[in-house]
Amino acid sequence: MRVAICEDSTLFREGLARLLAESGFAVVACVDDAEKLIAQVEKDPPDVAVLDIRLPPTHTDEGLRAAVQVRERHPRVGVLVLSQHVRVSYAVELLGGRTEGVGYLLKDRVSDLAEFAAAIRRVGSGGSALDPVVVEQLVSRHRQPGDPLGLLTERERAVLRLMAEGRTNMAIAERLAIAERTVEKHCTSIFAKLGLEASAHDHRRVLAVLRYLNA
Amino acid sequence: MATRSRGTTTLLALAAGAAWLLVVTVLGAGPGLTRWHGSTPMLGALVGVSFLTAGTVAWRQHPRNRVGPLMVLLGVAWIPQQLVFLPGDPVWALALCGVWAGVACHLFLAFPTGRLAFVSHRVVTGLAYVVALVLPLAETVARFPLPRPVRLFAGALDASSWQVIVLLSGVVLAITIKRLRQASVAQRRAIAPVTGASMVATVAFAGNRVADLFGHSPLQFQLSIVMLGAFIAVPLAYLAGIMRRRMDHGRVAELVVRLSRRERPGRLRDELAATLHDPGLAVGYWTAEQGRYVDTEGRPVDVDPGQGRVVTRVDQGEAPLAVLVHDAALLEQPLLVEAACAAAALALENERLTADLRARLRQLAASRRRMLQWGEAERRRIERDLHDGVQQRLLSVAMTLGLAEAGTDPERAAPLIGEAKTAVLAALDDLRAVSHGIHPPVLTERGLSGAVKELAAVSPVPVACDLALCEPLPQSAESAAYYIVNEALANVTRHAAASKAWVRLAAGAGRLLVEVGDDGVGGADPARGSGLAGLADRAEANGGVLTIDSPPGKGTVLKVVLPCA
Repeated sequence: MRVAICEDSTLFREGLARLLAESGFAVVACVDDAEKLIAQVEKDPPDVAVLDIRLPPTHTDEGLRAAVQVRERHPRVGVLVLSQHVRVSYAVELLGGRTEGVGYLLKDRVSDLAEFAAAIRRVGSGGSALDPVVVEQLVSRHRQPGDPLGLLTERERAVLRLMAEGRTNMAIAERLAIAERTVEKHCTSIFAKLGLEASAHDHRRVLAVLRYLNA
Repeated sequence: MATRSRGTTTLLALAAGAAWLLVVTVLGAGPGLTRWHGSTPMLGALVGVSFLTAGTVAWRQHPRNRVGPLMVLLGVAWIPQQLVFLPGDPVWALALCGVWAGVACHLFLAFPTGRLAFVSHRVVTGLAYVVALVLPLAETVARFPLPRPVRLFAGALDASSWQVIVLLSGVVLAITIKRLRQASVAQRRAIAPVTGASMVATVAFAGNRVADLFGHSPLQFQLSIVMLGAFIAVPLAYLAGIMRRRMDHGRVAELVVRLSRRERPGRLRDELAATLHDPGLAVGYWTAEQGRYVDTEGRPVDVDPGQGRVVTRVDQGEAPLAVLVHDAALLEQPLLVEAACAAAALALENERLTADLRARLRQLAASRRRMLQWGEAERRRIERDLHDGVQQRLLSVAMTLGLAEAGTDPERAAPLIGEAKTAVLAALDDLRAVSHGIHPPVLTERGLSGAVKELAAVSPVPVACDLALCEPLPQSAESAAYYIVNEALANVTRHAAASKAWVRLAAGAGRLLVEVGDDGVGGADPARGSGLAGLADRAEANGGVLTIDSPPGKGTVLKVVLPCA
């Protein structure tokens, strides 16, 4: 899988390149600002572009804007945004109503190499990877009494969170150490309780869950 | 006063006085006078003249006040008793010789308004008129050879007359004393001379009547002199009062001079109090910022004072300038108050600006103190967080890695490194929280609009955003607005029980409007919740103003206007 990296901190950029190379990715470009990344994507689209939010010249939200731009112009290029902190509004802007090939994670996540590599692969193959912190912020909005989310069991809640993060049923089953069939049953129950239309398709399922949480 | 010519008044008064003197002298000349004691007829004549003259002046100056007509009436009613001793004992004069006492009672009780304000006063006055008519009549009847029962009844009435007169005089005296005691300083100053003279006259009148029981005596003569003197003093005191008011108006000119060399603030109140003779006078200056009147120290002035005090507004064109909280007695001299205010207008405006400034400084100093304390506490908290959190964790990482490095068993190294990694991640978490506390990263990355959208995105209550901003805004305004929205939305979540909320930001004309509203329970009061007080502090510390509209059951709308030039 071909990966392009855009990060202004040399330390993190080189470390990440080494990490990805060791995990079997082909790092095709290592750049330090958004313009260079976009030029690179135009010239030779990678499978996944990994980029930071704060980038030169203003160190504000260049990375986020570049990510949105790449997603609009190159739907087949997966975009994974890494940041020191994650925000719900950024996630909403980044997704823009489409969960294919997108990821938004805390930089901290690189410390679990296997998980991180899996997330990149998911994004590169058209899936999604949303940071658990964002999911938690979305879920905690629904704490008011009478919210249908309150009807979910503890286990169903855990499944919902993992689903929102963009994981497949198999990954969820593995994570929770339960059978894939059980996960499917939980999904059916969750969708029924929240009044959502069940969909076999992973992307649509994630989108439905995120829309519900962000409503 | 200005509309009535002074010359005509004087002329009328002189004419009335001359006519009276003529009547008394012509009718009373001759043998009648000889039966009098020395100077009393002359004094008696002066009583009538003085009442007629003063009454005419009063009537002309205050046509709607009955004091003038009453004094004129008293002057006329004085005539019969002056003519009682004419040769041939004119019966009509004898029968009407007491009417003046009824009028006097009426005048004393009705002074200074000319009206009998209480039922008790009306009853006493009515009684006085009845007694003043009936008693002389009874005395007259007793002189005629009428049937015995009538004469006996008239005689009994005549015999009891002194008790009735003493009793009535006592009541009138008591009412007058009570009124004097209840009067405010300014009122007392206005009514004291006339009331004092009337009290002396009342006492002397009753005393004279009692002395009469013992026949002609030196005491009775002296009491007559005192009574007549006191009666002359009543209209003279009234005229003196008018003169004094003229002089009060003259003092306004002095006020202008004195104000021009005023050294310290606060003196203006003293000068006005002296000019208006109202020691309790309070001056409130308008502060547009706070929308209320404050004194020179910036403290609010009560514009709804108690009984006896009234408020006079002083405006400059359309704009409110100041209020005088003064004695109700001054309402009778509106021209004086107006003239004093006009004379002091410039000084008032000056003082108003000072008071406004002081009020602002007071408010600002208080909010700055609280913000400084808050900032200090915040720095301590950050220091403690770094010390207890990040530093400790990084220390433990160094130790764990040191252990892994020194260890001989390669199998033990892996768990130690894992432990170190966990600690580093936790340190990162801590740092994130600390840096968010110092300055929210979203504000840096997306500006105020983006940061507010993030607050709306994580709010449990659905928030609609109307953000009409042309960024960039000054950082201080941005930061203040962010914390205000943050705290306001937190309040909505905690207290409002709202189903929806909205945030509106609008910038223009060097101002940033921050509005946070909800459809919840309302009833928010900055005086009670410390959260709202904190918001007000943050707004004020940034030169802004916070207003809260929160009627119970009708939701809450919080508005802050911040300067952002």
